[in-house]
Amino acid sequence: MSGAASVAGNLPVASTGRFGAVVKPIVWLVAAVVLVEAIVVVFGIRSYYLPRPSVIASTIMATPGAYLAGLWRTFLETVLGFVAGSLFGVVMAVVFHRWVLLREMFFPLFVVSQTIPVIAFGAVVVLWFGNTLLAKAVISFYISFLPVTVNTLLGFSAVDPRQVQLMRSFGADDAQILRRLYLPAALPQLFVALKLASSLALVGAIVGEWFGDTTGLGVLLLQAMYNENVAGIWATIVVSACLGMGLYGVVAFAERRIVFWGGEQ
Amino acid sequence: MTASISSDSARQISRGIGGALLVAVVWELCARGLDLPAYVLPAISSILAGLANDAGSLLAAARFTATESLAGYAIGCLAGMAAAVLVTMVPSARSVVVPLATAINSVPVVAYSPLVLLWFGIGMASKVVMVAIAVSFTIFLSTIAGLDRVDRKSVDLLRSFGAGRLAVLWRLRLPTALPLIIAGMRVSTVRSVIVAIVTEMLGAYGGLGWVIYQAVLQVDFVKVWAAIIVASAISLAFFGAISFVERRYVFWR
Repeated sequence: MSGAASVAGNLPVASTGRFGAVVKPIVWLVAAVVLVEAIVVVFGIRSYYLPRPSVIASTIMATPGAYLAGLWRTFLETVLGFVAGSLFGVVMAVVFHRWVLLREMFFPLFVVSQTIPVIAFGAVVVLWFGNTLLAKAVISFYISFLPVTVNTLLGFSAVDPRQVQLMRSFGADDAQILRRLYLPAALPQLFVALKLASSLALVGAIVGEWFGDTTGLGVLLLQAMYNENVAGIWATIVVSACLGMGLYGVVAFAERRIVFWGGEQ
Repeated sequence: MTASISSDSARQISRGIGGALLVAVVWELCARGLDLPAYVLPAISSILAGLANDAGSLLAAARFTATESLAGYAIGCLAGMAAAVLVTMVPSARSVVVPLATAINSVPVVAYSPLVLLWFGIGMASKVVMVAIAVSFTIFLSTIAGLDRVDRKSVDLLRSFGAGRLAVLWRLRLPTALPLIIAGMRVSTVRSVIVAIVTEMLGAYGGLGWVIYQAVLQVDFVKVWAAIIVASAISLAFFGAISFVERRYVFWR
């Protein structure tokens, strides 16, 4: 099996396949950019509505430092919040799974808190933690842990009780059953939530910056809006889009590597 | 059996209420006992008093925000489903549209809001557009996923009985997809209220987001919390309504 795979890997056909998978989206992207550029020029769309892609690119290139600094700052906030939120989410799911009383007492509150427009807390959180990187990470954390908890619990509930009994009859303790049975079983659902949480965490970080900060993509957005600098808004949208797709891509890549047995789709 | 189920759910409900009460009491004791200033954490009792005080203006703001979210939600759901059905009918468009939608969906929606505000002004229209954008992508992706779940053999069977593409869509694909579609709709309810509030914070003539923003500027944190409670009540009611419809009409899932 592995021998066949390595032989296939040496064949030129396989490498062109991978090459094509990388190149094809780029070709499409370039084509789309050229098309938009042509449409804007041909129909004479005012730059107030849609600036030419080349103008957006040159806006970024004019002050690349500002965009890079904003990207780095927002990236840090998002990743801190996302990682903390995901870990906390899984831990809460394990706790709720282990102690039914706690679940019945507090899980409804978790669900209710999911319906709270968390962004409304932004002002309060910034007040609690000061105008720091930590405050934005906390908002990202709060936004991202709930879906993780809900989906991990969903994954746990799909475990066949007979498998638990089987492992127990072989003398496995709770920790072993958790590590070898429940967590792997929950992985496909967990990754669905992680993909959602990665984009939610980014939203939390950007909106958190609106409550006062000096660097970050959210700040760049606000500044461009107040100056009615449409090219600046688009430039920031493009940079945030790259960040959002990058985060999503990393999680999706990890999903394909870790949940190799398929799962969702 | 039914008796044990109902006593089970009665226990769950009472424990749920117990948990909520416990949190409320701890909150109240922390705020009062530690004598925390209102900008750190106002006591629950003073938030409720503030809620009663500002009931009129909060209600008006709530109506504003609810109208925006509902209008945007309706537009977004219809647009998302229509686009998904169209893409399923034209298979050649799929390989371009679906990766594109997934990519756009991973872009933070709030990044568009300054642009939408400049385009549509700071009235209601900009919020409706923002909510519609946010909702339509979620609905589009879940509808596509739902329409794809159909068993190939069932399609072939229907086709062999002479069913056209539309009949297959109406009798087979849509009923199969409905559970996923409505799950997407349930998630989107909360999202629509959040997006409306966030956009209001950037600029509006009214609404809960605007109230929150003004209250923050005036350092009136009791009012911020009161507005947060009203906002969660709206999304909870919205969420509950869609969940009710889901349980009532999508009985075959």
